[in-house]
Amino acid sequence: MLLFALASSLLLQVTSPAAQSRARELRTIAIDEAFAAQAHLKVGDTVTVSSRPGATRTADGSESGGDLLYSEAVIIGAIVRRGADPSEVARGDLLVRMHLDQLQRVSGYGDRVDRFAIATAPSTPVSEIIDRINHVAFGFKAYPSREIAVETSRTFQVVSRFHRAIGVITIVASSVFLLCIMVLKVEERRRDIAALRLMGISRSSVVRSIVIESALVAVLGCVLGVALGWAASLLVNWHYQALYRTPLEFSIVTPPIVAFAVALSLILGIGAGLLASLRLVRTPPLQLFGR
Amino acid sequence: MRAALAQASLIRHRSRTLLAVLGVAVAAAMLLDMVMLATGMRESFRELLLSRGFELRLAPRGTLPFDTDATMPGVGAITAILRTNPDIREISPVMGGSIHVRVGNRDVSGSVLGIDPAVQGDYQLLSGRDPTTADAIVVNDYLLGRLGARAGDTISVATGYDPQTRTYSGQRRLVITGRVKFIYGATEQSSSAMRRETLESMSDVSKRDRASLFMVKVRKGADAERVRDWIDAQLPNVTAISIATAIAQVDARLSYFRQLSLILGAVSLFVGFLLVTTLVTVSVNERAGEIAVMRAIGVSKAHVIQQIVIEGVAISLAGAVLGLGLGLVTARYLNAILSAFPGLPMAIDFFLFQPRAAWSALGLLIASGIGAGVYPAWRAASLPIAESLRREAIA
Repeated sequence: MLLFALASSLLLQVTSPAAQSRARELRTIAIDEAFAAQAHLKVGDTVTVSSRPGATRTADGSESGGDLLYSEAVIIGAIVRRGADPSEVARGDLLVRMHLDQLQRVSGYGDRVDRFAIATAPSTPVSEIIDRINHVAFGFKAYPSREIAVETSRTFQVVSRFHRAIGVITIVASSVFLLCIMVLKVEERRRDIAALRLMGISRSSVVRSIVIESALVAVLGCVLGVALGWAASLLVNWHYQALYRTPLEFSIVTPPIVAFAVALSLILGIGAGLLASLRLVRTPPLQLFGR
Repeated sequence: MRAALAQASLIRHRSRTLLAVLGVAVAAAMLLDMVMLATGMRESFRELLLSRGFELRLAPRGTLPFDTDATMPGVGAITAILRTNPDIREISPVMGGSIHVRVGNRDVSGSVLGIDPAVQGDYQLLSGRDPTTADAIVVNDYLLGRLGARAGDTISVATGYDPQTRTYSGQRRLVITGRVKFIYGATEQSSSAMRRETLESMSDVSKRDRASLFMVKVRKGADAERVRDWIDAQLPNVTAISIATAIAQVDARLSYFRQLSLILGAVSLFVGFLLVTTLVTVSVNERAGEIAVMRAIGVSKAHVIQQIVIEGVAISLAGAVLGLGLGLVTARYLNAILSAFPGLPMAIDFFLFQPRAAWSALGLLIASGIGAGVYPAWRAASLPIAESLRREAIA
C-alpha cells in the first residue's frame, strides 16, 4: 500500500455567508481540535485556504490579485484528534488535513510529494525491498520507518538524556541522605548496643539485627516510594496531556523501573545499615556509654 | 561564645557532620541548577534577541520568524510604510532560502539568508569582509568544512536542485569573502549569507521582492510595544513580534523545563531542610543532659536556642558553599546535554549563571537552615531541667 504525504503551511480565512451558499460544490478538509478551538470553527463552516496571505486566484481559474498561488474555499468536514507524536508535542502547531491534489494546487507544489509511505506484506523482508528500491531509485532514497522515527524523535532523545542525568544526581543525593539518616538512627542507639555487647551478645548478632532492621525500613520505604511514584506519574500524565492536548504518555511506571528502584533502595539501605553498625560494634562498649 | 559551642558540638561528631554537609551540598547543587534553569533560559534568549539591538521582528501574519516557508510580498512598500514612523531607526529585511553546491560527486546543501550587509543583525564576522558586492557570499565554519573551501575561494552556488534529473537552477559563481558565526544558528547547521538582491536574482520570479523577516530597531527612548501596535495596525499581512512577545512564546513552548525546575528545586530544598532538622534533632536529644546543666547554671533559653540554630545554619552554609561549586559543574554538564536540542540556536544556554541565581539559592538554603534549627532548638530550650538532669544521672 502506498501513502503520499505533502506538508505545507496554510492560512485559513472564514468566508462570507454568500460564499457559504455554494457550500455543496466545495470539497472538505479536516482540522484538528486545537485549531477548531482557537479559530472557533465547527463542522460545516466554510473557509478559504491559501498558502500565503493575499493569494486570491481561485481554483476555477478566476484571478482577483497579483499573486501566483491559489486560494480555495472549502468546508470543514471533520474535526480530528491528533495522534501521539513526540516531535510535535510542545510546538503548538495547528494542523489541517486536505486531499493531496488540493494541497498541491493550493501550495503551488505541482505534481510533487514530500515522501511516500510504503506498507509491506507481513512476511516480506523490508531490508531487501529497501535495497531494491535504492538500487533503481533516481533522485530519492528509501529508509526503514525505524530510522526515520529515530531521526524525528531527536528532541525526545535529548530530553531523555537530560532525565537520566537528573536521575543520577537524584540517586547520589538520596544515597547520601539515606546513609546520613541510617548513621544517625544507629548512633542514637549506641547505649542499647553497648548494653547488648556487655551482656555478651556477639558483634555479628548486633550487626545482623541492625542490617535486618535497615532492610525492613528500606522495604517499607520502597513500597511507599513506588506508590508515591505511581501517583506522581498519574498526576504528570494528567497535567501534561491536558496542557498539550495529546494522548501521549509522559511518564510510564514499568516493572523494570520498579525493580531497579527497589533493588537500589535495598542495596543503599542495607549498605548504610551495615556501615553504621560496623562503626559502632568496633567501638568499646564502655566508650559507647560515654565512660 | 555561642558560635564556639556550636562549633565544638559539630566537631565532636566529625563524620556525621561531614555526611550532613555532603547531603546538603548535593541538595544545594541541585537547587542552584534548578534556579539557573528557571531563569537562565529566558535571560539567555532575551540576550540573544537583543544582542544586535533589534527590538522588533516582523513575520508573515500568524507565523514566527522562519517557522514556516511563508514570505511577505512588497519589501519596498513595507519598508516605505515603516519609514514613516519617526520612532523606527533601522530596518533590516531578510529573505531565507537554501543553496546547493556540487562538491565532487555529492550535493552539499545549506541555508542562505539574503540580507542588507549595512544593517544586518544575523551574523558576526569572524574574518574577511561582509558580502557587499553582488558576487560575494559569507559562510559559517561548518559549511566551510563541508565544502572543503577557504575564504577567498570561488564556488558555484545554486538556489534550486532537482534530485531526479540532478540539475541545478539559479546557479552563479560566488566568492567566499568571509567566515561568519550566525547568531541564531543551530549546532551543525550549514549556513551562509549574501546580499538580498543577489539571492533574488538567483531565485525564480515568485520569490522576487519578498522577505521572510524584517528586523526593526526603534529610536532610543521610544516604546517598542507602541511601535509594535502601530505596525500591526498599518500592515495587516504582517505579525510584529516584540522581545516580550517572543519570550512569552518561547516560555510557552519550554514551560516543561520551568515546571521541572520548580518541582526539583522545591524537592531539593525540602531534602536539605529534612537532613539538617534530623541531624540537629538527634544532636539535641543526645545532649539533653548537657543542655540541662547549661540551663541549671543560668544560661538563658535564648542562648541555647541561638547556639542550636547556629549549628543548623553552619551545616547549611558549609553545604551551600560546597554545593555552589558542585552545582556549577553539574549545570555545565546538563547544559551540554540540552544544547543538543535540534534546531536550537548555539548561543542559547539553558543553565545561565547569574549572581542573582546564586544569591537566591544561598538565601533559600540559609533560610531553610534557620528553619531547620528552630524546632529542635525550641525543644531543647524547653526541656524540664530537673527531670533531664535526673535522667542523665541514672543513664
